[in-house]
Amino acid sequence: MSDLVSRKLDVIENADPMGRGPDDPWRDFRTVERLDMELHFQFKHSFGKLSPFFLALEERRLMGTRCTECGKVWMPPRVHCGDDLAICEWVELPGEGVLEAASLSAYTLTTGGGEDTLVLGYVTLDGADAAMLQQVRNCDSPAPGLRVKAVWAERPVEHPMQLFWFEPA
Amino acid sequence: MSAGEDIVVLGGGLSKFARERPDGTPVDWMVEAAIAAMDDAGVDPAEIEHSLVAYESEILARQLSMGQVIQDALAFCPRPSIRVEAGGGTGGAAIRTAYAYLKSGLCDSMLVVGCDAVGRGVTSATVREVYALSGDVDFEMAAGGFFMAYYALMMQEHMRLYGTTEEQMAMVSVKNHRNALSNPMAAMPMEITVEDVLASPPVVAPYKRLDCAVLADGAAAMVLATRSWAEAHASAWRDKPRVSLTGVGCGTERVRIGDRPKPYPGLAHYRAKREASRAAYAMAGITDPRRELDVAEVADTYTGAEMQAYEDLGFCDHGQSGPLTARGVFDLGGELPTNTSGGLIGQGAPPGAMGLAQAIEVVNQLRGVCPAERQVPDARRGLTDIHGGTASFSVVSVFERRD
Ligand SMILES: [Zn+2]
Repeated sequence: MSDLVSRKLDVIENADPMGRGPDDPWRDFRTVERLDMELHFQFKHSFGKLSPFFLALEERRLMGTRCTECGKVWMPPRVHCGDDLAICEWVELPGEGVLEAASLSAYTLTTGGGEDTLVLGYVTLDGADAAMLQQVRNCDSPAPGLRVKAVWAERPVEHPMQLFWFEPA
Repeated sequence: MSAGEDIVVLGGGLSKFARERPDGTPVDWMVEAAIAAMDDAGVDPAEIEHSLVAYESEILARQLSMGQVIQDALAFCPRPSIRVEAGGGTGGAAIRTAYAYLKSGLCDSMLVVGCDAVGRGVTSATVREVYALSGDVDFEMAAGGFFMAYYALMMQEHMRLYGTTEEQMAMVSVKNHRNALSNPMAAMPMEITVEDVLASPPVVAPYKRLDCAVLADGAAAMVLATRSWAEAHASAWRDKPRVSLTGVGCGTERVRIGDRPKPYPGLAHYRAKREASRAAYAMAGITDPRRELDVAEVADTYTGAEMQAYEDLGFCDHGQSGPLTARGVFDLGGELPTNTSGGLIGQGAPPGAMGLAQAIEVVNQLRGVCPAERQVPDARRGLTDIHGGTASFSVVSVFERRD
């Protein structure tokens, strides 16, 4: 393999995946060259009308929204009610609630905070009518029905959702 | 076309599903699948009036506007074309869109071709990260959420409500990997045991590696037409058993599982599938699906997802999928053989192609041309179920043999 092309990754002599031998209709096209390519995006990512929720996290406050039509309390907040499209209003919720379901994950995304494994759970905060996904930490048996409380990060984080997680209350 | 005229499936073709296809590009595979489908249909490619391209995430193939790119590669220009995308439900959206185009008279024949390249051309970590963007980004993905976890949490709730077990889920994996053994297009044919599944590495509890469908490369294509076009243009109409698309329904659901109404669907159920299947059953005149269907391909993104689908598709009551799975109701030779192709678990899961691959398996079952190992005797009516997200978008289709 020559080194005239710096991004050349490999050159593969492929077999026909269907094993047709001399009847392979694409037998003249089985040599494949591949390059090592990358694609990077950088965003000015906006939280839009939901920004007050994320800003309030910096003050250790959990802000949901209440529908001005039906009274349902959404957490995570929604700008418009998920049932009737009425415009909602901000309402502060206490930092405690009930764990609905939880799973131990052996995989994490880059948004997972750098842990090797994590527990993700759905928590319905007291006063809310919907459940929010968040990490559950310092909990040996994260069983449904467990009372949990928000615990706040002591150090700067990359994303506002990393400012808190839940632990047994 | 005339009002009330049947929409017929004239043929289907696949380009091999595999964990990695280093032998080509998604465009190459789509052309291979399209040629196979048009051969199967016995039609002249120059006579097909319209194309439809089903593709989810061509950014993962370093390409945009795949609909236009594939139209050119297929030598279909300047004929009209439409591209559809509905996440993992893309193939279902394609079938339903084809039905609408053909019924409306916009065209009388259509080549439908679907693909995604999510094998090893990109790392699975990259794919997981990009796919997480198809759910809730600001709250759930930012908290570390991703699709495997969402599905796992749904199943945790199903286990809590009904006592569904990991052994029952493992039986679905054994069945689907085994069904794929007679499918030369399948990515993951395997003879494995329940113990093998239970002992495979944990992913997100309760799911282990062998509970999960694998990301794959591959393409699928179908030719659909009005009956009158088929009579005039397709040798398959004369030479092969006739199959019609007799029902197609769509349903939707809130993106975040925690926002879904309680008690139904709650965390554990697929309301979108109930909605989609009810619409499809109404069109096809089905009132007792487990008895009136002979074969089904349902969305087995994960083993538990297949079981949850049985329930919301009306194959059984809520909570009954575990016991019926253990009884072999959905095995080959059972009451309603399901995922005879191997499904997403055994055949592989390239999102834009998988809904079409399901339909091709059902059509081949109804034609009676599947390998003997997996042919359902005298199959007359079959169903496909495919969804995007955690079934935030769902399409159910019903196919029937017409002779
Ligand atoms: Zn409301």
